[in-house]
Amino acid sequence: MPSDEMWINMGPQHPFNHGLWNLRVKLKGETITQAEPIIGYLHRGWEKMVENRTYSQIVPLADRLCYGSSLSWNHLYCLTAEKLFGIEAPERAKYIRVAVLELQRITSHLTWLMAVGTDLGSYTIMTWSIRERELFLDLLCKLSGARMTYNYCRIGGVRNDFPENYERDVNRTLDEFERRLRDLESLMDENEPFLMRTVGIGKMDGKTAMNLGLTGPIMRASGVDMDLRRLDPYEVYEDMKFEICTHTDGDVYARYRVRMDEMRESMKIVRQAMAEAPSGPIRVKAPRCPPKGNAVCHVEDPRGESLMYMVSDGTERPYRLKVRSPNFVNLSASPPMLLGFKISDVPAIMGVMDMCIGETDR
Amino acid sequence: MRIEERRYTKADHFRATGYVLKTMKVTFKGAIRATKNRPCTILYPWEKLLYPDNFRGRPGIVLERCIGCARCAKECPNQCIEMVTIELPDKGKVKRPQVNLGRCMMCGNCAEACPTNAMIVTPEFELCSYSRGGLIFDPVKLQHPHKAGYEVNYSFALLSEMNAGGEIKTYAKNDNSVHDTIVLDGAKCISCSRCAKTCPTGAIEMVETGEVNPKTKKPIKQPKFDNTKCVVCEQCVDVCPKSALSVKEVL
Amino acid sequence: MSNLYIELTNFTEWLLGLVAALLDWTKLGFLSDFGDWLQTAPVVDFVSTLLVAVIFLITAMMFGLCFIWQERKTLGRFMDRRGTQVGFLGFFQNFADGIKVILKEHIVPKDSDHLLFELAIFAYLASTFMLFGCIPYSDNFYVIDVDLAVLLGIAIFAFGPFSILIGGWSSNNKFTLIGGMRAAAQLIALEIPLLLCIVSVAVLTGDLSFVGVVTWQEENIWLIVPLCIGALTFFIAAIGESERIPFDLPEAEAELVEGWATEYGDVRWGLQMASDYFRAYILCGLFTMLFLGGWAGPEFIWAEAWYLSKTFIVFFFFIWVRAATVRIRTDQILKLGWRRLLPLAVVNLLIAVALKVAGVF
Repeated sequence: MPSDEMWINMGPQHPFNHGLWNLRVKLKGETITQAEPIIGYLHRGWEKMVENRTYSQIVPLADRLCYGSSLSWNHLYCLTAEKLFGIEAPERAKYIRVAVLELQRITSHLTWLMAVGTDLGSYTIMTWSIRERELFLDLLCKLSGARMTYNYCRIGGVRNDFPENYERDVNRTLDEFERRLRDLESLMDENEPFLMRTVGIGKMDGKTAMNLGLTGPIMRASGVDMDLRRLDPYEVYEDMKFEICTHTDGDVYARYRVRMDEMRESMKIVRQAMAEAPSGPIRVKAPRCPPKGNAVCHVEDPRGESLMYMVSDGTERPYRLKVRSPNFVNLSASPPMLLGFKISDVPAIMGVMDMCIGETDR
Repeated sequence: MRIEERRYTKADHFRATGYVLKTMKVTFKGAIRATKNRPCTILYPWEKLLYPDNFRGRPGIVLERCIGCARCAKECPNQCIEMVTIELPDKGKVKRPQVNLGRCMMCGNCAEACPTNAMIVTPEFELCSYSRGGLIFDPVKLQHPHKAGYEVNYSFALLSEMNAGGEIKTYAKNDNSVHDTIVLDGAKCISCSRCAKTCPTGAIEMVETGEVNPKTKKPIKQPKFDNTKCVVCEQCVDVCPKSALSVKEVL
Repeated sequence: MSNLYIELTNFTEWLLGLVAALLDWTKLGFLSDFGDWLQTAPVVDFVSTLLVAVIFLITAMMFGLCFIWQERKTLGRFMDRRGTQVGFLGFFQNFADGIKVILKEHIVPKDSDHLLFELAIFAYLASTFMLFGCIPYSDNFYVIDVDLAVLLGIAIFAFGPFSILIGGWSSNNKFTLIGGMRAAAQLIALEIPLLLCIVSVAVLTGDLSFVGVVTWQEENIWLIVPLCIGALTFFIAAIGESERIPFDLPEAEAELVEGWATEYGDVRWGLQMASDYFRAYILCGLFTMLFLGGWAGPEFIWAEAWYLSKTFIVFFFFIWVRAATVRIRTDQILKLGWRRLLPLAVVNLLIAVALKVAGVF
């Protein structure tokens, strides 16, 4: 190795990686010539663990895959289990799920924004977005009784119906949040140092992104019009009117923009789902043991496409449960994004990826 | 939605000061707001967030209602609930749940599974202790004053009724008319009456079938289930030495 | 308040006279001679200077700590939170932190260059504390008033990057090495616009001592009016020099854990952290002195109070910029320093020369 190049271990304990992973970068001066993400520090054996749990016990455990967007994992598990059991949630439950999932998406994106703020060195962005997130945490707490790990979806429906005056509360919160989001955006969009740090960094075109298996906002920022809520609608997403946010630049700024726009679209969906929800039962009784067979289901997580594959041998515990985490794949695509940029760009590029090691390592 | 492309040009460099000034204006407004009113942070040990009634803190128990059916212990994903024997003044020696809060993840599944709503979720979340033993809450320590909203209720519909069309009825948790039933395989039964002894609600009664044991010349007794009393705790299924009992689900 | 030196010389003379009288009382010849020597002018000068230096060090450190407190509280309001809460309005947080770092263990990395590792941090701290001596609070309250006081201050300031580079290198850590390199590159890039701004001030006022500069501003006009471009350049360069957030690359905690100070622990790290604020305090003082008329102001409060309140206002702008911006990259800082600030500083110098030649002032 030439003496002017050196390997740097950014991790497993490093201020920029949220979670426990290691990014090895080879530097020439301050320029990255080689990068190598290393994960596995937070492997909890989740997939093996759930093989010893009954189907209803796995629901709260699915929350723990990612505390940032626990409801989407919870929901994905219940959706897959419903497919395996051959049952379907009642109509009202589907609308409730869509509304709550989109609230969760906003929460998750605000958590991401908080992390980006700290990575880029602006603690104002961090505290302001965490303040806004509190609005939604209060809403979700009122609904499900917990602030982060909701345990809200059930196989065959949801845990409980909306509490009293919930629709009014949600609409008020969204009105307030729309105003605050404008303030929050002006912290970044009209801030020249932020643009200097993000525009043109970590470029990736749509074709490369597709080949690397990227999904979610990162892929949409590269101009690929891919959103499972549209392409393979689950629940009642096909009845919802919303736009898929894409951007053509494929750089860090585009990824940031896509997520900010997604928050606006999510607000639209929440309002629609709350208004259009029919009355009726919210949960059907699920059998204890599914028939033998397997089921696979994928949904649009805030971070990308997450997938669960479940095999049943007819007993009350799953025989195998496989999780495809969007971040696991997105992380493997980080070296091509990092190459040629400076070490100062590492937090910017990896920060907008919204790393969550809980679901990556499982 | 194709967002209009924002290209970064050389001209942007000359607007740098203007852009920073705009952000400074926004932050200054925020500072004025935080000074005039008050910051949005909560001074935690002195102030606390207002939590809704259904907030899921540690699990609690209302001992008068508990029947010791162990459904909470079965449902717990972390296996942190254990049935321990305690001495109650009116009921004598009974089994009641003990929760190891060091393992508990506050999912509320125990309260949801409880047929008598004896297990409740309490808004208590400050559970620090100097030792692990301090986190093991025995049934007496686990007690918590009850308030409406602490118990977890749900309602459900039946798939068969939904598929059949027509009016869809929703049933409350533990509705006696629809819950699962325990069925007996009479050929396997050896009339040991262990199920009747275990049953926490006294729903099982040993009744004579009319047949007579050819060896002992005594009438054969087999369990009979009273569905209005049964809470489907499945302790009888577990205890049966010959696996003669099974659960028939109502779907 | 009359001149600090005169006050303290009187006090020292009284003190030393007391000591001499005591020695005289012993009736031992050689001790009486020693007492006589104590009362000679050089000794009185030396002791009074020492006393002034100690008073200055303590005062300046206290105001530096007030800067930390100001940043914590003001930044808190910008971010919609409260900031520190220890003691009355959070004043005691600094002392709590100080006690904490003093009680920490001193750790030297195994493969580091031990001597340089220990020396570099003290060189950095020494240069910071020396700077306290260069800044007068008013025309009566100062340590030294040499003719080239401004240049002396900047010269001591420029010593900082060397110790940072050596400290970063000797720690035997890749993060500290990169941090040290960045500090050296950045501080040199921003030092030159800073100096050019000072040159333009010197051109207009014809003086390089702080007292002269401030007296000139009292008689004519605050220099921020004719030299507004220079003031802006100086302000931006000063933020970079004090390694604060848009330009805090040497200790960018997101990519380099704690920058060049990663391996320093205990009280060395505490003083290094505090000395960042001391340096910011010095730079705010320089800005006040050069562009805002120093201690000039209506005489209903002390001149020192005018000077300090102006300094705190300048630091408020430092904090405000920190609240509004994100950290920028090394290459962008260098670009900013060499391509934007340097031309601006030159333009400012030309304006100053033109004003002087035209005889406006």
